[in-house]
Amino acid sequence: MTTITPLGRVVATERRPNTPHEFHFWTGLDSPVGVGTIVRVEGKYTINGQITRVYGVVVEGFSYSDLQSPLHDVLGHDGSPASASLASTERAEIRLYTAAVLRQLPDEPLQPVPLGDVYLADDSDVAVALRMDGYLAEGSRTGIPIGVYHAGGTDAPIYLDADFLIGPEAAHLNITGVSGLATKTSAIEWILSSIFTHFPEQKGSIAAVCFNVKGPDLCFLDKEGEIDERDRLLYEKCGVPPGPFENVQYFAPYKSDGISLNTLRSNEALLDNVTPLTWGLREVLQYAEVLLNKDDVDAKADALIDFIRERIVDRDFADEHLLPGKRYRVRSFADLEQWFKDLLVNMEQRGSESWRTHHIATIRKVRNRLSNISTRCAGLVTDDGNVGDLPFGSFQDRTVYVIDVASLEEDAQDLVFARVVTKLREHLEKRDLGVKHVIVFVDELNKYAPSDGQDTYVRKMLLDLAERGRYLGLVLFSAQQFRSQVHRRVVGNSGTALYGRMDADELATPGYSVLSPAVKTKLATLEKGQLMVRHPHFTQPIFVRFPRPAIMRGRDGAERYPQTQDASLESAILRVLRPLDPTITLNWVKDITDVYEQEDVIRAKNATLLERPADVKRFFKSQLARIVPPTTVGRPALVTPMRTAPPDDPYGL
Amino acid sequence: MTVVLRATMDQSLVALQRQLRALAPDIALLTDGEPPLERMTADAKPPRLVGAEVIEGGAMRARRVFGDPVVAFAAFLDGTQTSHVVAYVDGVPIVHGTVAAAVRIRRNRRLTTWHRPVVRRRLYGPRRALSAEHERILSGLGIDLVDTAAASGDASSHPFILRDQAVHRIQEDREEAERELAERWCHLEHEPLFIDGGISGSEKVAVAACTVGVVKSHRTLYAEGDALQTIFGLRRAERSSVLRVTSPKRIPVASWYLRLRDAVGHDPMWGLVRVEIANPARIDEHDIGARADLVSRWILAEAAPLAMPDARWDKMVYGIRDCEEFLRAVT
Repeated sequence: MTTITPLGRVVATERRPNTPHEFHFWTGLDSPVGVGTIVRVEGKYTINGQITRVYGVVVEGFSYSDLQSPLHDVLGHDGSPASASLASTERAEIRLYTAAVLRQLPDEPLQPVPLGDVYLADDSDVAVALRMDGYLAEGSRTGIPIGVYHAGGTDAPIYLDADFLIGPEAAHLNITGVSGLATKTSAIEWILSSIFTHFPEQKGSIAAVCFNVKGPDLCFLDKEGEIDERDRLLYEKCGVPPGPFENVQYFAPYKSDGISLNTLRSNEALLDNVTPLTWGLREVLQYAEVLLNKDDVDAKADALIDFIRERIVDRDFADEHLLPGKRYRVRSFADLEQWFKDLLVNMEQRGSESWRTHHIATIRKVRNRLSNISTRCAGLVTDDGNVGDLPFGSFQDRTVYVIDVASLEEDAQDLVFARVVTKLREHLEKRDLGVKHVIVFVDELNKYAPSDGQDTYVRKMLLDLAERGRYLGLVLFSAQQFRSQVHRRVVGNSGTALYGRMDADELATPGYSVLSPAVKTKLATLEKGQLMVRHPHFTQPIFVRFPRPAIMRGRDGAERYPQTQDASLESAILRVLRPLDPTITLNWVKDITDVYEQEDVIRAKNATLLERPADVKRFFKSQLARIVPPTTVGRPALVTPMRTAPPDDPYGL
Repeated sequence: MTVVLRATMDQSLVALQRQLRALAPDIALLTDGEPPLERMTADAKPPRLVGAEVIEGGAMRARRVFGDPVVAFAAFLDGTQTSHVVAYVDGVPIVHGTVAAAVRIRRNRRLTTWHRPVVRRRLYGPRRALSAEHERILSGLGIDLVDTAAASGDASSHPFILRDQAVHRIQEDREEAERELAERWCHLEHEPLFIDGGISGSEKVAVAACTVGVVKSHRTLYAEGDALQTIFGLRRAERSSVLRVTSPKRIPVASWYLRLRDAVGHDPMWGLVRVEIANPARIDEHDIGARADLVSRWILAEAAPLAMPDARWDKMVYGIRDCEEFLRAVT
């Protein structure tokens, strides 16, 4: 509906002229216009038979009176601010605004903005101004609500184009903002909800893989949180049902003890959808370069690792010359360690300095570095070779897969990230992941893809994901506190950029020079729940408000579902096996595992979890090594005793 | 053709000159951007002292205005005029004059325009000094041509005299515009109206209870001798005794001098205004002092905000400056 009363008039002077991209207008003192408000200018003349109509967004505001110097005001009130309120008349005051053009109709010829009346944009104006009308048409609707634009009496939902958010036209989303306001994570949660609700059927299935790199924020996505009436209205306006995610799967590695899950979501009440994330030797060796830096892996070491990967791991290996009579089947770090040990012992015994062109020093070095991995990534990488992994190949539509790596060492986080993304990519290339599109959410992007520092495997992969992922349906949603500290090709390839409240120092960096001082100031003072949005269809940034996710906040979840304390081995086994078989009791576990070493029990537990057999008890028992019952050693036959001499016969006679 | 059509609608100086150039190329247009004639024309009245009857308490003396200032004025009225020579036709200056007047009404401490302002644009020149052809061309420009010779007895053809005659005629038109609005206010409204200048030019306005004229220029001072010294010696928030100002062509009014601002370090007329209100009937003259005090308090209430950056801010109230700014914007 068109607002009938104009709220302003376009003005132009020789010193401050209008251009095709910018115009100025004044308003009454009580008009609901501010920085970020979208307005419509109605021209008076026709061009090609059409009355000019210009849409703009306010980027700067000025206010001044008819005074030439503040001193005059001071003199006029005898230096007393209190007497200003006694003045019979208020000075003439102007509110002058500068607006950046969002769209002109007709599009051609592109002319300076005409003098005309200015109106507050209504819902339909907002859709036209932001070119949303192109993707909100019935039948070809690809709009994803990102929030609600609010100004005056207008509350218009703002839509992103799925073709430009998820691909293939453009893709990726980056959000930046100061920490502590819960804006970044909340915004991502809200946008994922919105995508899952509005992603067009014709574009296929979609899932999200979220890396939880800090705190409990992503640990309770399937638990309902409280929202207020205002948020509920925003949900309603955007057509998104408020509520937690229906399908969430959690993955977390073990702690170094191998029995307790290393996640804040370790409460027993929440374990039904938590899967241990454990990798063995083969999985790790594929990404050895993630964990081994260039100083570690020179060409020689790389050649040896390649040899091990191709010829040793998971293959029958024998070397009759050096290791006569020995056959190896290396499946775990423990097996590999044994192989290294035998090899080096034999080389030393023979005084040999090289084996198959690999120098003994290189072999020692590679042994040292690889053996070290299982220590550095304890809990994630297992010695025994058991694997617990994401369901590559059977991903479900509208499901969130959260990988909790918050408590892992940096190296281990890199390994998880590199392997998961690579596997996603491989499966999407082969079209056998289970879904057509995957959103990968990575927080703290300035840590994983910094603008400076050495080129790491993870950064290279993020660059590759940002530049080529959209063709595969692999979309990067990333977040960081300082956008200026992220590699420019990663953020530059993000078709959609969101900004929460910004730090003033960050806003002073060159990347924000295109924003007006007023917009920067607004960014520095944004409320919680407000975002500035840049999207390929929007020629200027737009401010929106989004609802608080109807998801339990991390802090609330951590209080309500406290982390399980490290338990005894038996309790840990019971905790993970009972969901598979409720008849299992602590006494049963104790009876079965009492005589076994801890690593044997853990190995059996991992195998059971991996297999998920029908008869859990029987399978678990079968995984424990057979114990030979102890046999009583018989008392040996006694030798005839020597006759003893009487005490008083010192000679034995 | 387009030029002519636009000019018939647009009566601005430049539009008229464009039209004249098209219609009569031989006419010497004045296009060097001279300042308004008001700055170059001497005031018709020379400075003078005029004695006036004191109608409050016998002798002229300074009187303290007691009590706090009171905000009472509902509106402010002022007029403006601007004139430029369009062209010299046969050596005769043809002057383009714009007069305007507006009432700015105060609501919630903010000023807006009351009804429609008066804006008039005319050409001024002595018809008798123009050739028939040029008079026909000027009359056909779509703007009134006012004959300045008709009102003036001076038959000189000196261009400066002709130009001054035009400016004085424009001044009369401006006063007419102001009078028109003031009379309309008196007819429709009853709240106090602050008028920039005297009120004695119109009978309706001069006798109305709602009009207060405030005169800033003191080319005519209504005091002599000791009375003059009393007026010059007024301190801030002091007024003189009330006088009766009379003139053969004007309506008698009651008047007094009021010091708005302390004049220390300035000339004696700094911050000094002369106030005019309706002349009281003889029977009411004993109350005129109280009325003068009340109206003085109304005017003192307008001392803030300052009318800066106008150079006359010592005497000008902000409402009048606002009128001038408004008229500058619409003319």
